[in-house]
Amino acid sequence: MGWLLPWFVEPTSSGIGFSPQDAVLSAPMGPGAFLLYVLAVTMLLLVLSPLAEIAARITKRPLPLIADRVRLVAAVVGFVLTLVVWFLIRVLNEEPLFGPIDSHTVTDSAVWLTLYGYAIAALVYGARRWVVARGNVAFGAAAIPFGVLLPFMFHQAPDFLLWAASSLAIYMLLALGLNVVVGFAGLLDLGYAAFFAIGAYACASFASPTHHIHLSLWLLIFIGAGVASVFGAILGAPTLRLRGDYLAIVTLGFGEIIPDLATNNVFGLTGGPNGLSSIDQPRYGPVNFGTNPQWFYWSVLAISVIVVIFLRNIERSRVGRAWVALREDEIAAAATGINTTTTKLLAFAMGASVAGVAGAFYGSLVTIVSPDDFSFAVSVAVISMIVLGGIGNIVGVILGSSVLTLSIFWILPHMNEWSMTVSAPGKPLEFLPGLATVNFTQYTYMVYGIALILMMLFRPGGLLPSRARRVELEAGIESESLAAVQGRA
Amino acid sequence: MAILELAGVSKRFGGLLAVSNVSFSIDQGEIISMIGPNGAGKTTAFNCVTGLYPVSAGDVRLDGLSINGLPPHRVTKLGIARTFQNIRLFSYMTAVDNVMVGAHWWMKERVWDGALKTPRARREEREVQAWALDLLAQLELANYAGSYARELPYGLQRRLEIARALATQPRLLLLDEPAAGLNAREKNDLMALIARLRSEGLTIFLIEHDMRVVMEISDRIVVLDYGEKIAEGVPTEVRTNRRVIEAYLGSGASQEMHTT
Repeated sequence: MGWLLPWFVEPTSSGIGFSPQDAVLSAPMGPGAFLLYVLAVTMLLLVLSPLAEIAARITKRPLPLIADRVRLVAAVVGFVLTLVVWFLIRVLNEEPLFGPIDSHTVTDSAVWLTLYGYAIAALVYGARRWVVARGNVAFGAAAIPFGVLLPFMFHQAPDFLLWAASSLAIYMLLALGLNVVVGFAGLLDLGYAAFFAIGAYACASFASPTHHIHLSLWLLIFIGAGVASVFGAILGAPTLRLRGDYLAIVTLGFGEIIPDLATNNVFGLTGGPNGLSSIDQPRYGPVNFGTNPQWFYWSVLAISVIVVIFLRNIERSRVGRAWVALREDEIAAAATGINTTTTKLLAFAMGASVAGVAGAFYGSLVTIVSPDDFSFAVSVAVISMIVLGGIGNIVGVILGSSVLTLSIFWILPHMNEWSMTVSAPGKPLEFLPGLATVNFTQYTYMVYGIALILMMLFRPGGLLPSRARRVELEAGIESESLAAVQGRA
Repeated sequence: MAILELAGVSKRFGGLLAVSNVSFSIDQGEIISMIGPNGAGKTTAFNCVTGLYPVSAGDVRLDGLSINGLPPHRVTKLGIARTFQNIRLFSYMTAVDNVMVGAHWWMKERVWDGALKTPRARREEREVQAWALDLLAQLELANYAGSYARELPYGLQRRLEIARALATQPRLLLLDEPAAGLNAREKNDLMALIARLRSEGLTIFLIEHDMRVVMEISDRIVVLDYGEKIAEGVPTEVRTNRRVIEAYLGSGASQEMHTT
């Protein structure tokens, strides 16, 4: 059972989150562990039961589902039971509850996740109406505590876990920024990685031995945002008259030019193909973020939350309306008194400045920036994230970036170890010996492709479409079925 | 006194002279219609006035000052608003948001006010929204405030476009075929609306094909054919003008009409 619930196994110091070897060889055993397994599975059933409701609605085959109130009680009971079992195993005994259990293999993270799942289930079934009506607030109420508590949940986890979480937050920032340009203002930008690069290089220059300047990260965030937004406006200016495909091609070119300039060590600033290295680890007072990655993670998280709040406010302000008007009909927008030039440039600059912030964090996280980090693949990844999540919807974009970042930077690398372990002789999948030789990390683009194809087939507006997209798609279906009726008549 | 003046305006697209040396003026508080067969250059003339096209020759003057070469949003700020022949609403914005876009240029909120949601921004946003809802109510669109523009019935979309134009607080309203596609009752409502707007001090310049509407509400009519102004005058004059009848019905028609 342990290898099915891998988060029950302690992450190794070298590994990314858990070691599949351990998952199979030393999964926790005994009644105490078994109880925790049962609680975890019950939690999963509770959390995933809305999926069954959705499936029932789509297939129009009603499923007998227990009432919300029963599920709420189950969630609360599960929460309390998990706490009790954990308390008995871990705190009182430091040893197995009813028999052999290796206290090192059942991790706190498993219990944290189970507790968190029960809390979410209680939120959903206890206040379903509120969750449905104020979906975004509910999402924040569920996601922010998880984000803040993550380092505690995985306190035995190696730094790698936080490293991965920080990367996720950086990609989330990128997706949020691109969403301003593509989602709000409707300007297709295929070279968004360029602004990420500009932010990262600008900050690396001011915080590394290369130019003998060492500024604080807090200053660098603003420098990154400022420099990137200036370049955003510079790129925006020549593309003002372009739309759709033509705009995409010019931005694509810009996205190729910037890494090339960096490779050629432009003005001696970028360090050529090797890039800029030994970027300062940010510190705050005595805390060095390099050795305390949870602080790094929390600061990226805090900035992401601030950016989300900013962008949400802007979306609902005068400028946000102007962007949408521009996206819907540029000529009508101009004739209604919107200065299309400044409004477009503002979208480019604002999108770019978010990428600049992400670049500042990226440089200090990996301590080296080189041209390869900002290839076209990055732009594609970020576009896929916002398309998958739901163009124009901030919560959707957060979800899309989380799903894709996790699958590409976390699950795929793990699949290699996992496949090797489970297909070894005597292991559950030994009848598939070829599995061990598959290099899953080569299938990154396949993941993008499959995700996008599945999405276009089943949820063309993205996982969480914006309201406008929803109406648009429904209208499309209506007119299609109307055409079908007329065709038959 | 003339609010808008076209002085020898021409617009050339390559080899095609779409508008040729057209001159006329519109007085404050007037309702003036522009008619002419399809392709006569009426909409092109509108586009020249509102800054969507630069004029090839001549001058467009608002209150005696040239507005040639100004971008459309500057023209809007100077007090000219317009609607479009093929409705150009922001389809996936709600009706009230469409109207609030009209308020864009005179709202004081800056980018940072919006991002930080300052009390000032909130207050203005609330006030403008109430104002927009009020404007919608005046045009009997209040029930549709929260609907997406594209969900509105056709006739109401036309009216919403007028509401959006009015939200820019214009002095001169340009309507491009406002009665197109409306039924008889909607046309009557439209004429009442135009009369009311004029009584509130607005000057109205419209392109229209529906002769009943044109003849009933216009103070004066300008007739274009092949880009040239062929007639101008009060409805009764234009109705009997020989060149106008020829332009609409062919050169034999006017003789026949005069002989019978």
